[in-house]
Amino acid sequence: MKKFLLILLTICFAMLITACSNDADGQEVDEESNESEETNETTETEEETTEEASDEKVEAVFWHAMSGGGQESIEAIVDNFNQSQNDYTIIPEFQGSYEEALTKYRSVGGTEDAPAIIQTFEVGTKYMIDSGFIEPVQSFIDEEGYDVSQLEENILNYYTVDDQLYSMPFNSSTPVMLYNKDAFKEAGLDPENPPQTFTEIKEAAEKLTVKDGDNTERYGFSLLNYGWFIEELIATQGGHFVNNDNGRSEAATEAVFNGEEGLRIFELMDEMNKAGTYGNFGSNWDDIRAAFQTENTAMYLDSSAGVASTIENAPFEVGVAYIPYSEEAERNGVIIGGASLWMSNGIDPEKQQAAWEFMKFLQSAESQAKWHIDTGYFAINPSAYEEDIVKERWKEFPQLKVTVDQLQETKPSYATQGALISVFPEARQQVVTAMENVLQGTDPKEALDKAAEETNRVIEQANRANQ
Amino acid sequence: MRVFRPIITYVLLIITAIIVFFPLVYAFFISFMSGSELLQGKFIPESFHLDNYKKAFERLPLAHYLWNSFFISTVVMLGQLLVSALAAFAFVFIPFKGRNIVFFIFISTMMIPWEATMIPNFITIQQLDWINSYQGLTIPFFAIAFGTFLLRQHFLTIPKELKEASDIAGLRSFKFFWKVVIPYSRTSFVTLGAYGFLTTWNMYLWPLLVTNNDDVRPVQIGLKQLQTQEMATDWGVVMAGVIIVIIPTLILLFLGQKQLQKGLAQGALK
Amino acid sequence: MKNATAFQEKTLTQIDTKWRFVHWRSAILYLLPSMILFSVFLFYPLGKTLYLSFFLTDQQGVANVFVGWENYQYILQAESFHKSIKATLLFVLYTVPTGILISLFLALLANEKLKGVGFFRTIYSSTMGVSVAASAVVWLFIFHPSMGILNQLIASVGGTSIDWLLHPDWALVSVAVTTIWMNIGFSFLIILGGLQNVDEHLYESAKISGAGYFYQLRRITIPMLSPTLFFVVTVSLINAFQTFGQVDILTQGGPSESTNLIVYSIYREAFVNYQFGTASAQSIFLFLCILIVTILQFKFGERKVHYQ
Repeated sequence: MKKFLLILLTICFAMLITACSNDADGQEVDEESNESEETNETTETEEETTEEASDEKVEAVFWHAMSGGGQESIEAIVDNFNQSQNDYTIIPEFQGSYEEALTKYRSVGGTEDAPAIIQTFEVGTKYMIDSGFIEPVQSFIDEEGYDVSQLEENILNYYTVDDQLYSMPFNSSTPVMLYNKDAFKEAGLDPENPPQTFTEIKEAAEKLTVKDGDNTERYGFSLLNYGWFIEELIATQGGHFVNNDNGRSEAATEAVFNGEEGLRIFELMDEMNKAGTYGNFGSNWDDIRAAFQTENTAMYLDSSAGVASTIENAPFEVGVAYIPYSEEAERNGVIIGGASLWMSNGIDPEKQQAAWEFMKFLQSAESQAKWHIDTGYFAINPSAYEEDIVKERWKEFPQLKVTVDQLQETKPSYATQGALISVFPEARQQVVTAMENVLQGTDPKEALDKAAEETNRVIEQANRANQ
Repeated sequence: MRVFRPIITYVLLIITAIIVFFPLVYAFFISFMSGSELLQGKFIPESFHLDNYKKAFERLPLAHYLWNSFFISTVVMLGQLLVSALAAFAFVFIPFKGRNIVFFIFISTMMIPWEATMIPNFITIQQLDWINSYQGLTIPFFAIAFGTFLLRQHFLTIPKELKEASDIAGLRSFKFFWKVVIPYSRTSFVTLGAYGFLTTWNMYLWPLLVTNNDDVRPVQIGLKQLQTQEMATDWGVVMAGVIIVIIPTLILLFLGQKQLQKGLAQGALK
Repeated sequence: MKNATAFQEKTLTQIDTKWRFVHWRSAILYLLPSMILFSVFLFYPLGKTLYLSFFLTDQQGVANVFVGWENYQYILQAESFHKSIKATLLFVLYTVPTGILISLFLALLANEKLKGVGFFRTIYSSTMGVSVAASAVVWLFIFHPSMGILNQLIASVGGTSIDWLLHPDWALVSVAVTTIWMNIGFSFLIILGGLQNVDEHLYESAKISGAGYFYQLRRITIPMLSPTLFFVVTVSLINAFQTFGQVDILTQGGPSESTNLIVYSIYREAFVNYQFGTASAQSIFLFLCILIVTILQFKFGERKVHYQ
């Protein structure tokens, strides 16, 4: 029996490998231009490039943190770039999560081994600026007179510090609210007029919640336990996350997310949670999406990058709306999230040039259109929205336009520019813990104050260590 | 009573086997499902097609990753066998002063959590310029207290007379080690080898830190690359990845199970 | 033979010093590879960690502000570290005894002399061949709040679905279940090997005197198995204290830090928050804990172990 099992397994495995590699080869011939080919050839590309090094091509390494579909798309764009000209070769290399990539970068930053380009998440902005390992892209912009005004202003704002654009925005996303239109109809709500304010959310959630005895079949509203959403909900009310104008006018010394704006959000969560209309689906993006798609929750906040696939997969009609705000405040709009591309200093100037050329290529309407469609991240260059493929896509999913509108209607201010803190990852963690505690019944004020206190401690420590 | 006992045992055997094996069967089934089938919460897929496997292989150079994993695991296995055997030999057959203290120090290394030493180790590897190299993934794991311990326990069972006889016959101690000790302890070598191979194959965090590109990256990292953060994860493809990753180790385990069980048990006995 | 020993004894004192030197030299030669590797990859980093634990580090990870015991004082009074210790202890309590009992039970079953039992042995040991990354991913899906099989089973019998990974109390249990499953293969193999080493004659004589199954289990099997069990307990304890991969994939330490086991907490402090100082202090603390537990275990546990 054991032998039999063994033989079976071995055969299966052998067949699998051969079957799959054959199939892959076959496809490469069929499909001329793009993605799948590139991923299969990652290793080959590298070999090729070493050979071609003799032809004086400049190689520049590009560290990214995109896995899954994002990785496919990014590698396809890099491939397009490499074929579009003869001077530079960009080598894309996956480095794990943003945190892991940054950890590695810390140890090679400032040396010859540093990659020419590294993708870093938005909350790493302050850290990167202070690290001294990077060359602001502004210096290339100035030198060449590159016109950045063609790029989305609200995205540039985030990465502009002291009037310098430090990094090239790349995968950018904002939060939006997704809701189940069918459930709205069923509950007697207007599916074309989704709730806009906290109170409206609360009322709608009550109607949308479906209970079966003790078991809640469908919750009205859910938030992912992820600090980013709290940051956004504070910003849209015009509130700040840290003092000194969100750390933009001077280095932040204290967290202020426990102010009235933050408290309103936590109180809303608490009230809804106690009323049984708030569904907690944890801190995993996939879980909350699955909950929405299986109709376990009727409204939730998601990243604009996840909208298209949710619409595609959901067995019902999905509505997309702006994120809600408190009626005691005005709607200010959203902060940009996602990541940007940084250029290393201390490396060969030719590699920097290669990095710069690649960044420019990335900003082209064509690349951005492809990127926007493949991943759902924003096009940094709004003219990408004029490209045919984007128009077609929007025709198919008109809801996608809402995400762009929300961003373009955002009022520029310190609040919507987003906070700058070097210890942002830790601050986010503290906020997540506070969210989880509130859902377990801790008083909202107490939970927030504790998170702020902890954040203050790490800010203080970081300031001490970096003097 | 006599008749019932085997029946009860069989029933228990079958139930427990189903429970223990269930997660793997489940993963196997999911690896054939499409996104919508998953959302419907099906347990058995509609059809057994290889789409997800194809996608997994298309997305990443998985065959290359598998080879890397295989190579790294084999090298670590051999390295561990050699280094541990040498050390265990000294602890058993060479009566030097302070032997117990040194042995205790060896055993105490089992208590140092690997994560606690990871930051300085990473910097060391970098200074040695071993990032993206097989050395960086293998050499730090050659010395392993568990292996020394396991082999020592087995060497202790070698009759003292053998050593005495070889001393008289004028065998140099290395020759004794090579000609007598190693053949005598084949079981524990196989055991340690399988153990070393499996644990190396399963390494996760360290390869992620010390590899920057696909050259030497092992297959566990591939599993991570199939999952996404902000965008939707394709569970079918991920599970296909899981199956691809576990099949080689399962085969190895089935092959070496008997030896492994014997050898590990000997290590546990004093 | 006798002559040889006599000869050895006689000369031993005379050339004692010389022999000592020879032994030392050859011992060092044999131990050298291990010693070098341990020094470079374990002791040196441990020392470095100890050093870092007295400093604050800047963004490049350079230790530049000496703070004495401050990092230790901080972690010892910090609520999140208390939670982390509590979670770790609970986790050890959930996983070690349960895991060993289950493995023992399976090993006893698989040790019966029945036809086809080899097949079951293969199944039971299979989890040893499944990597941490792979098994955690599979269990992540099993625990999935809406698509996972567990909640679907519960729903199909009309029960209230359980927030496996989302409720602080359940999350630790879920991680523990995953861990127990992962460790079954290894513990099972060792215990089964131990069972097969038990002398058959003991059982035969017990049967003759008419002892029942459970009597035999208590009086023969368990005592004869005690060295094996001792080994399994030691290894399981150390492993439980060092759990990382499952937590990273299943819960990232949440919710409400309920699964923030100490090694994960170290990882997060060091690689997400870049606080090498506090991370190092936590590492040293963990090292001391494991050291103490192991010494205690060897001191008290070993007395009760029955050697053949």
